Amino acid sequence: MRAREPDVAATVTSGDGVRIAYETFGSGDPTLVLLPSAPIIHSRQWKGQVPCLSRSWRVVTFDGRGNGNSDRPTEPEAYHDDRMVGDLEAVLDASGTHQAVLVGLCFDGVWRSIRFAAANPGRVLGIVAFSVGVPFLTPSQPGYVTGGATFDDELAEYQGWAKMNRYHWRQDYADWSQFFFSEIASEPHSTKLIEDAVGWALDGSVDAMLADHDADFPYDRAAVEAMCRSVTCPMLLVHGSEDTCQPIARAHILADLTGAPLVVVDGADHLIPGRHPVLANLLIRDFVRSLPEGLPA
Amino acid sequence: MGTVRAPERPVVRPHEQSRARYPDRTDTVERDDGWIAWEAYGSGDPPIVFVPPWQIVHSRVWKAQIPDFARRHHVIAFDNRGNGRSDRPVDPATHTTLARAENLAAVMDAAGAPSAVLVGLSSASGPMIVFAAQHPERVLGLVFVCPATPFGEPNPGRDVPFEDLLPDDDGWRKENIHSWRRNFRGYLEFFFSEAFPEPHSTKQHEDAVGYGLDTDAESLAATLRAPPTVDLDTVSGMCARIGAPTLVIQGTDERISHVTQASGLARAIPHARLVLIEGGGHIVNTRDPVRVNLLIRDFIQTIKASGNARART
Repeated sequence: MRAREPDVAATVTSGDGVRIAYETFGSGDPTLVLLPSAPIIHSRQWKGQVPCLSRSWRVVTFDGRGNGNSDRPTEPEAYHDDRMVGDLEAVLDASGTHQAVLVGLCFDGVWRSIRFAAANPGRVLGIVAFSVGVPFLTPSQPGYVTGGATFDDELAEYQGWAKMNRYHWRQDYADWSQFFFSEIASEPHSTKLIEDAVGWALDGSVDAMLADHDADFPYDRAAVEAMCRSVTCPMLLVHGSEDTCQPIARAHILADLTGAPLVVVDGADHLIPGRHPVLANLLIRDFVRSLPEGLPA
Repeated sequence: MGTVRAPERPVVRPHEQSRARYPDRTDTVERDDGWIAWEAYGSGDPPIVFVPPWQIVHSRVWKAQIPDFARRHHVIAFDNRGNGRSDRPVDPATHTTLARAENLAAVMDAAGAPSAVLVGLSSASGPMIVFAAQHPERVLGLVFVCPATPFGEPNPGRDVPFEDLLPDDDGWRKENIHSWRRNFRGYLEFFFSEAFPEPHSTKQHEDAVGYGLDTDAESLAATLRAPPTVDLDTVSGMCARIGAPTLVIQGTDERISHVTQASGLARAIPHARLVLIEGGGHIVNTRDPVRVNLLIRDFIQTIKASGNARART
């Protein structure tokens, strides 16, 4: 059951033939596009935002490839960075969205927003970046380093971050999901958020997750930094002081690279829009209200 | 205006969380041997009095109702003697049902509410029924949330001798003065685990344990030792004479009292309406606040509509 049902639910075929499901809510200007953290979860991650924001603005969400109502390709090429950015463009075009404010969480939301804005400055009115997930700006969190080191090894047992493992995912993806979301939603009173997120993860596909993991990432740190610097639209960065997924130092560095203001949420872990929906919605609201009337067409 | 006095026994109160809405008035009603702390918020008719349940909690148990209703109503909340900002009497006679009904009247007098809608949780039902019988003209409506009443089955697990020295603290055997003296917090954690069987209740549980820690074993024991003042026949007769519109809200997964205590009350009061919350526990007003607030809101709308209809005829 949803607090707000979509006005439009449709699919668009992306450049490589993958069907991407998107939904639109409400009608106010400007349009806000809430990017998915795919393929691990899908567009319901924004359930705390859509009913509120769509009362004032048109809101577009979509399921990233590999989860939700979108296709689940299983080859790594399908999860190349360019493909993911292409899906965003396809959804904007199909939904008749010339310009939008992009709202994203972590790598899949924030980095893809930056990439799209860098390539299409005329289409992005602003970016709200939660839990700033820009790769390479700092080393990854220790858990990812630990898990990454043995990702391809078949182990006798899978404890802690060693659960981030190709064989364990195939063997017990639910166990990984429960572990992962418990780790990155470590604040007290997060049981509902964790339960929801695990459910969205289990809606997805282990094959898609592995293909996404195995996809090439075509940029080095210098290229990432150059991409960030090239973004010209207004940005707001929001990061939890206790983020266990994305190091907060990445948010500080992105703030330096872009000049964007950074709101540090004291005590918050990674999933701020889910765990602190009122705060997240007010930050988005104030950011949208602060934007100039629109870009020259 | 009452004066705020230092309690005879020093009370070190836990640090209070920030509130969504702060009271417009905070005051006390003096009693012969102590005081009752009350708060008032907002304005608008009809006034709503949130009647406190057992002293294992205090008036913050209404934190999800007060900010909502204070936007449209004069809202009054108070702490029973024994918790919150009220005193900590250890004389059981302080805590009889009749005394609690008198306290309710005194708070309404002090807060300037000649009549009101009364909303009570759990054992608030006793003083609410007595008050409605004694002062029918002051009761515009009654909302019983998960009422503890003599009209249904008891909770079988809670049949534990309170004063006896027991061999262990298992389950409800924690509801025992010796267990409380050993580990009061342990009892509170158990009690509220039973009170909140719903998943995702960690915040409500944490809050409620905090309310419990605001009192102490001896103060709370005095409430259980209060002598009975209203027998079953008397309370049945009082209920049968209630003319005010009445709503009973009850969770189906009740583990503190018993579901039949609510359905029995709804049968005992003429025209009472019973609403069951599927899967709800004992403190549904904190666990399902939107649902409960909408039920109360709609109930008050009905009262106002029928009042207007009467006024026109």
